[in-house]
Amino acid sequence: MAPIQTIAVGFDGSPDAQAAVRWALQLTNQLGAKLVFVHAAGLLEHIEDPQAVLDLEETVWVLTSDAGLDPTRARWHVSDGDPCSVLLRAADPPISADLVVVGSRGQGARVGLPLGSTSHELAEHATIPIVIVPRGNAR
Amino acid sequence: MLIVSGPIDGSDHHRVGHPERPTRIDAVMVGIDNLHLGSDLQVVRGQPADRAQLTRVHSTSYLDELAAFCQEGGGDLDPDTYATIDSWSAARLAAGAGLAAIDALRRQNDGVGFVAARPPGHHALRDRAMGFCLLNNVAVAAAALVADGERVLIVDWDVHHGNGTQEIFWNDPDVLYVSTHQWPLYPGSGTAREIGGTHAMGQTVNLPLPPGATGDVVRRAIDEVALPVIDSFAPTWVLVSAGFDAHRADPMADLALSSGDFADLARVVAGFAPGPGRIVLFLEGGYDLMALQTSVAATLGALLGASYEAEDPTSGGVGTEMVNQAKAERATAVRGAGDLVVPPGSLL
Repeated sequence: MAPIQTIAVGFDGSPDAQAAVRWALQLTNQLGAKLVFVHAAGLLEHIEDPQAVLDLEETVWVLTSDAGLDPTRARWHVSDGDPCSVLLRAADPPISADLVVVGSRGQGARVGLPLGSTSHELAEHATIPIVIVPRGNAR
Repeated sequence: MLIVSGPIDGSDHHRVGHPERPTRIDAVMVGIDNLHLGSDLQVVRGQPADRAQLTRVHSTSYLDELAAFCQEGGGDLDPDTYATIDSWSAARLAAGAGLAAIDALRRQNDGVGFVAARPPGHHALRDRAMGFCLLNNVAVAAAALVADGERVLIVDWDVHHGNGTQEIFWNDPDVLYVSTHQWPLYPGSGTAREIGGTHAMGQTVNLPLPPGATGDVVRRAIDEVALPVIDSFAPTWVLVSAGFDAHRADPMADLALSSGDFADLARVVAGFAPGPGRIVLFLEGGYDLMALQTSVAATLGALLGASYEAEDPTSGGVGTEMVNQAKAERATAVRGAGDLVVPPGSLL
């Protein structure tokens, strides 16, 4: 198995996404890897207050500091698209992730599924390993 | 003769404050009224698309999920897309509207069809809603035509790439998909390197454009890159994913077109149809109500030869370099695919 050098973690500000970020920060520390916080910019973000995205970025840097990760080993990346499509593309440049981490349910859901729609679609279509962090679990 | 299928404002599929709203259809109808078409306007009302019509383009599991999701009250499907308890009915009605327009055109063997319905469709994937779209209206219509033995050109001039339509017909040799769109922008797909699947290599034509691109750049992209492919394909029907959010006043994107540019584009695209009665336009995006109203009027006025004073076409914007780059990238991709041509019937 190739070493995991770059981890991508999806972040939409939801509580489950925050749990995923905390888990990914710990894994990044353990592996000595690099971490990319990935935010999907949807259609509505084009007309929303840009401060909202800045606030999301601020949140991940606070979490990074709390986890004791050297911030030079992490970066914030915004990509146009829905969360599923954006995270599926994380395996390709410019992110080139070896592993994708997501929360079990972000914003948006599909009734009848045990997981959120993004994590469900990723599980079906991802070309690299993914980790789905259970709700409320940051360990 | 203009055949309007609708108006279907989907008023029960509505969330306060969301830009994809029922008043968009009001704006469209005012634009049509301003053409004063009199007896040259015919309004038709279709039936909701049935399961057989929908399963040509959507998976049965997705249709069941969406219907159940709505029946249980709806909610958020993704950060942009919602459903209400009535959205399943509204979406099926919008999907059926294109079929009604086609039926009316076939009966008359003349005219131009316009589907004034929402929710829009071109982001809806085979098994997933996204980008305000629940069911892919233009795809349902194209698939119905293909089932009847037709060859369908879909021109998508919405400012966003129609990823759902591209995905649905990626491997279909009877459909040619041509899209002009701002890039980078939601949904993130639509590079010139995306040219179609094994059985339809070259039949996806993506023409990405940078923010600030004007109408002359869009027309140049179509003329230089898409036109040879369209000529070779020889469509028997032309369907247009007619979003009007590439207008310079639209809040959702940053292209710089005017209503006059949509009139020009409409004339160009109408020239791809093999004869009268073989073109249908489907409303997709367009979120500035005045720009939507004037652009619809300019587009349909140009197609019908009606008197309408549109804004002047635009020119001089950026984008020529990106058109050249798209042309080169597409040529490289097509050459590469040529090395991988698979014989018909191959298991590959």
